[in-house]
Amino acid sequence: MKYAALLTNNADDVTAWEQLSSEEAAAARAEEVPKWEALFGELGPTGALGAGFELDSPKTAKTVRVRGGETLVTDGPFAETKEQIGGLMEIEAEDLDAAIAIAARIPVVFRASVELRPVIEH
Amino acid sequence: MQYLALIYGEEGRWGSLSPEDREREMGEYMALSQADVTRGGNELDSTATATTVRVRGDETLVTDGPFAELKEALGGYYVFECDSIDEACTWAAKIPAAKHGSIEVRPVYVDGGEQS
Repeated sequence: MKYAALLTNNADDVTAWEQLSSEEAAAARAEEVPKWEALFGELGPTGALGAGFELDSPKTAKTVRVRGGETLVTDGPFAETKEQIGGLMEIEAEDLDAAIAIAARIPVVFRASVELRPVIEH
Repeated sequence: MQYLALIYGEEGRWGSLSPEDREREMGEYMALSQADVTRGGNELDSTATATTVRVRGDETLVTDGPFAELKEALGGYYVFECDSIDEACTWAAKIPAAKHGSIEVRPVYVDGGEQS
C-alpha cells in the first residue's frame, strides 16, 4: 500500500524558528540533520521511501482560489492550525501497522504529528 | 524550483456530481498530471481513512482521523517545477478544486535560502 505521510510541526515551534537569525537557524538545522539522515539511511535500502518534500515555512505560502472566473491569491497558508504541515513523504508499506511503525520514527512525530493517508492509485 | 500545491475541498462534493461532471473534472486532473511543469502528485483517500501518529515520551499514540479537522479537507497534491511562486500559482488556479475549494502553494525548502 502506498501512503502519503503528512509531516506536521508544532505552530509555536514554527513561530520560534521564524525568529531565529540565519546563523541560529543553520545551527538548529545542523542538529536535526543527523536524525533525518539516520532515518533515510535505515529505511532507504528497504524501498519504503518514495518522494519526499520539506516545505518552506508556512509564511511563504500562497493560497489560490478561483471564483467567478477570477483568480484570488492570498498570502499565507490555507488554515491556521495548532500543527502545521511542514513536509510530505510518500511511503510504501505492507499495511497500516507497518506505515505506523515508520511514522513513529519520523523526527517530527515527537513534538507534533504524522498523518497517514492512503494514496488512491489511478 | 519545486512547489507543492496542496488541494483542499469539501469532501462530499465528488459524490454529488453528475457522471458527466465527474468525467470532465477527471479529464482536467489527468491533463494537469501530464503538464510539463508537473513532477508528481497524488490523490489521497478520504479523511475517514486517515491515521495520525504522535510519540510522547516512549509512547506511540495512534488516533483515527486527520491531524486537524477543517471545513475543507486535504484531498491531494501536485508537485510543480516553476521559476517562481507566481508561476506556480497560475498552475494552481488550473486545478479544478480551485473553483470551489482552496489550493495552498508552498515552496519546497532549498538549503541556503528561501525561494520567492
